[in-house]
Amino acid sequence: MFEPKRLHPIVIVLTIGKRFKDLIFSFIALFFIWNKGDGGRLVLFGVIAVAIIAIVLTSILSWLRYTYRLEQNELRIEYGVFVRKKRYIPLERIQSLDISEGILQRLCGMVKVKIETAGGSGTDEAEAVLSAISKDEARIIQEYVRAAKSPTQTVESVAESTNEPIYTITQPQLIVLSLTSGGVGVVISAVLAFFSQLDDLIPYERLFRGVEQWDVSNLIMIILFVFGGFVVAWIIALIGTMLKYANFNVIKTERDLIISQGLLEKRQITIPLTRIQAIRINENIVRQWLGYASVMVESAGGSASNQEGSKVMLLPLIKLQAIEEILGPHLTEYQLKTNFNPVPKRALIRYVFRSWIIIVPIVAASIFFLKTWGMLSLLLLAWCTFWGVLKYKDAGWKLAEQQLNLRFRTIVRSTVFIKKNKIQSLEVKESYFQKRKGLGSLEAFVKVGFGGAGGRVIDMDKNDVKDVYSWFSRDDNKRD
Amino acid sequence: MLLEPKRRISRRALTVWKISGAITIAISWILAGAAIFFLHIFNGPFWISVLLIGMELISTYLFIFLLPSLKWKRWRYDVRDEEIELQEGIFIVKRTLIPMVRVQHVDTVQGPILRRYQLASVIVNTAATSHEIPALEESEAESLRHFISNLARVADEDV
Repeated sequence: MFEPKRLHPIVIVLTIGKRFKDLIFSFIALFFIWNKGDGGRLVLFGVIAVAIIAIVLTSILSWLRYTYRLEQNELRIEYGVFVRKKRYIPLERIQSLDISEGILQRLCGMVKVKIETAGGSGTDEAEAVLSAISKDEARIIQEYVRAAKSPTQTVESVAESTNEPIYTITQPQLIVLSLTSGGVGVVISAVLAFFSQLDDLIPYERLFRGVEQWDVSNLIMIILFVFGGFVVAWIIALIGTMLKYANFNVIKTERDLIISQGLLEKRQITIPLTRIQAIRINENIVRQWLGYASVMVESAGGSASNQEGSKVMLLPLIKLQAIEEILGPHLTEYQLKTNFNPVPKRALIRYVFRSWIIIVPIVAASIFFLKTWGMLSLLLLAWCTFWGVLKYKDAGWKLAEQQLNLRFRTIVRSTVFIKKNKIQSLEVKESYFQKRKGLGSLEAFVKVGFGGAGGRVIDMDKNDVKDVYSWFSRDDNKRD
Repeated sequence: MLLEPKRRISRRALTVWKISGAITIAISWILAGAAIFFLHIFNGPFWISVLLIGMELISTYLFIFLLPSLKWKRWRYDVRDEEIELQEGIFIVKRTLIPMVRVQHVDTVQGPILRRYQLASVIVNTAATSHEIPALEESEAESLRHFISNLARVADEDV
């Protein structure tokens, strides 16, 4: 491990692929600009040929130049084609190793290792990716990192430490998870975005010429077509989720949580227990109705360019009631009880009003301009009101020993458990109108990857806000 | 509700805020003047000009007189051994608690107007958030920065 080593040559293919992906739009643009006449075409092919040769050459060169080694308790990486760069990362600074296998890596029996440090002040500088190294090498690095963090233990003794299994996804869970995931929306919007980009290519005008003369059967055709499109998008999202979360498995070692997942592309994420900043339970409305939830761990790792490293799925799908039973014995610091103090009744009207702020002008305008058809927008109003009431019902808080629990709804219902010593700052707000009703809002910030996250409960009782504030304050005068 | 933090920011902050308010307002007067000029040239309706001038007058009062003094009256802070407490906000009163152990670093910054009045702002950064205590006396900002960074160093915990 102490000699400089190169990555597996498959990296060349990966790099070439990545650079092509980055350039593909420029190629397409060039194609449209110069694809006129023979001379233009000649220039076009010339430029593309030069670009391809340049990409292949630089990819090979950058592979040749990229070396890594473990030396003096540092991971030392040297790379760069024109500008030579050296990046030395002290092993004890490494927060987590994220091991994944893409399809290409699997073909050669390699793994990709992402090395994450604390993320600093938002730069992604102190982060490195070893795109293809052998599994043994990855394991050796992993063990060295672990040993560097606990000087009392040698490499060997760490390797022997016990593993407690926490969770393995079952087949039915995987199916329910895929069916209830919000991935559909993402796929649909991606498809829509794609088609809006193709405006110039697809002759919409010719397609839709004479729309006025279309009869009902054509309209039904279009509706069926759109509907079919949505079904296809949904199935794609479904398969995507299944592939991503297949074989989902969580184990706990002495000091880390190790999560592995994925069928085609395997991923393994290691989260040091001490880096956990908060635990979050998310329930989207369908899952909530079915009694299911997902649990995320918010950790301090990750960087600006890689938010994935900081909000990690711990249990993708689980019955809400079972969470405490499953996680309780392993995350002993946390009390995962889910009974909450609600916000006071007088806050309801404010929740409803807030949900109306944006929608009421829209409804008013559509009734004013569209007359009878505008009345349909009242359905929207009803939906927003319902959502406001839902937000009110879901808002809640609870103080446990050295722990703040907050529950609130944005789109999904979130329940956040934060230990007192992980709260970066606490904010209470009281507007003029809140003051008149004796209400206040509370927000707690934790460090998650780059920047913060946390939880916010709006319109709590003033005295409750005061209690939490005093609880967090280290000044005795603030406590009653 | 809770006891307010005790320390106030410099009285001269008021002057600074009034000046920066005046600059903003001066720019908006110029824009409004240009708009009225073009309205006049293109025979736009007269009432728009009246409305614009009315709005400008109101915001002149708000930005140069009312808001700075409300803001100054509200702004309080306390720096204790174990935590920093801030209170700010005109319409929405915001109280913030930052434990000293969570402070990552402290900056003092000074724009041209602040420098003219020997004032400086202190910015306290945690791993997740950043908080500004605006317009303190230069010497106070300086000593506050030393005070906080010393305490923050003592209480070095893992994030």
